[in-house]
Amino acid sequence: MVHAHGLRKSFGGVHAAWDVGFDVEPGTVFGLLGPNGAGKTTTLRILATLVRADGGSAQVAGFDVARQGEEVRRRIGVVNGGMGLYDRLTGRETLHWFGGLYGMSAAAIESRIEELDGLLDLGDTLHRRCGDFSTGMKQKIVVARAVVHDPPVLFFDEATSGLDVLARRAVLDFARASTGRDRAVVWSTHVMSEAEELCDRVGVIHRGRWIGEGTVDELKRRAGDAADLEAAFFGLVRDAGEDAPIPERPEGGRP
Amino acid sequence: MAWAVARKDVLSTLRDRRAIVSNLLIPVLLLPTMMLGLPLLLGGLFEREQASLTRIGIEGEAFLPSELRSAIEAQRAELIVTDDALTQVRDDDVAAALQLPEGFAEAVAAGDVPRLRLLRKSGNLESELAAEKVSRAIASYRQDLVAERLRSEGVDPAVLEPLVVETRDASRPQERSSGQLSWLIPFFIAVWALAGGQMTALDATAGEKERGTLEALLVAPVRRSEVVAGKFVATLLSGLSAAFMAIVGVLVGGALLRRVFLPRLGDEATEMVATMGGTFSIGASDLWILLGSALLTAAAVAAMLIAVAMFARSFKEAQTYVAPMTFLLIVPALALQFSDLLDLGRGVYLVPLMNVMVLMDDVLGGAVGGMDVLAAWGTMLAFIAVLLAFALQSFRREGVIFRT
Repeated sequence: MVHAHGLRKSFGGVHAAWDVGFDVEPGTVFGLLGPNGAGKTTTLRILATLVRADGGSAQVAGFDVARQGEEVRRRIGVVNGGMGLYDRLTGRETLHWFGGLYGMSAAAIESRIEELDGLLDLGDTLHRRCGDFSTGMKQKIVVARAVVHDPPVLFFDEATSGLDVLARRAVLDFARASTGRDRAVVWSTHVMSEAEELCDRVGVIHRGRWIGEGTVDELKRRAGDAADLEAAFFGLVRDAGEDAPIPERPEGGRP
Repeated sequence: MAWAVARKDVLSTLRDRRAIVSNLLIPVLLLPTMMLGLPLLLGGLFEREQASLTRIGIEGEAFLPSELRSAIEAQRAELIVTDDALTQVRDDDVAAALQLPEGFAEAVAAGDVPRLRLLRKSGNLESELAAEKVSRAIASYRQDLVAERLRSEGVDPAVLEPLVVETRDASRPQERSSGQLSWLIPFFIAVWALAGGQMTALDATAGEKERGTLEALLVAPVRRSEVVAGKFVATLLSGLSAAFMAIVGVLVGGALLRRVFLPRLGDEATEMVATMGGTFSIGASDLWILLGSALLTAAAVAAMLIAVAMFARSFKEAQTYVAPMTFLLIVPALALQFSDLLDLGRGVYLVPLMNVMVLMDDVLGGAVGGMDVLAAWGTMLAFIAVLLAFALQSFRREGVIFRT
């Protein structure tokens, strides 16, 4: 569903993503694991066609992110922790408006809202204005908005940031439930326990560099039978000689 | 899709009570108040001052010739005898005063040239009007005196008037009625297009970034050009609604003034109201040019707002970027105010913003040239296209979109 190869992106000489590559198979949740500033958001923004990569290539749901941006955007949903809502629209109006951007009819949107209400317990959020929402309520509508068009690929970027335990649980459960035969989820987080619980495979990224990927158990083994994913993360970073500086310019020029 | 983007921004604006007050209510009330209310108020004051009995101080009342007394009293003035006219005027006990030297009446009778002093307070409208009454009385008395002296010398007083000057106002009726405050109309249209569009533009650009909604919008299958077009249309509609309300206010206020208030004023007060611009009217064809120019002004302002505000990280930062734009509108307005003295030349119709403001002023003055309309509108369309292209570039730049 998602194939990234050698993705590179720099901002003013700083390498935000360096040779990032991974594949996400249908029916799985792929974790993108790394601390803040590791390059996870840049990678997801490249995949979501918001940012153009300096090098490498990526396909999402069978479409090239660089050349077929609009087709890619039709097939993805993006949730990140910093996403907000329009204060003066109700939850229902928000979903109708976004559904309209995907070319959905009002009846189709309404039927999808019913469905999402069952999955996310939208309740009160539908008829209240978003400006009056608590953080948890807000995130429910942010998630519902991202999936109103029922996309086959979902990107979650630090989606539980700032949420209380109940709201966090609801988002995690929703992400898990969102995988199916023709669906995939990319879950980007710095919270190891989330990746451990949710992800079928995990890719480790640090300071823009791709350290490695595998199942949680594989990563633990690779790090010398680490006790948990956090220990495995530090082991992998250390083994990769992470402290060695990344070259300012790619060898042989721009790939 | 652009309309879908615009619809949300328009709805958000309509649900903001502050926007309704500043976009719709204030322009519909403020402009007529300034354009019509001020002249009306001054006209009324002027008329009342003319009709009411004015207190004029007189120092040296014993030396006042009876003819001069009659002339002053004929101007609806009441003479108040005083020993210190200067203090009385300073303290506002009297509106103006006359100081007559000892033996003034005798000196006049003897054919001498005695000096009298008129005291008034400069900058005080009531005092100026009172002094004007006294000056008229003195002029009339002097004219009678001159005629009497000439006759006593056997000369016909008509000898002093070898020719007669007849002054005729050559301005077009529309130009005449547009008055001295007509420049305010294009200025207010531009200002309200800015004030009205500002809230929507800032909310739809920097506000979206600050709230974290821009990213959600940009990952939807909407082209950046459609996003820019939608935000431009929403801003334009907000700005236009404010400018439209300002025009409606002026037209309704003008009709009300002509039908209700002017008939109750005297001739002089009516003339004053007209001089200041309280009685202008616009023909149907000229109204279209005014509306077209207002539309282009609002469009240019909307495009500028979108292009500039997109750079800001937050709504507040965007406000600081947008604030200097007011000066872009004040400068042409100042030039309009002094357009009688400045030679703006035909080139002015090729200067964006300035051109449409001059054009609107031309419409109000009843002197619109067809080529000028084409030049101004063509330049404005090109200007708007450049601004929108710039705004589109901003929406495509990662450094701008993610500058938070």
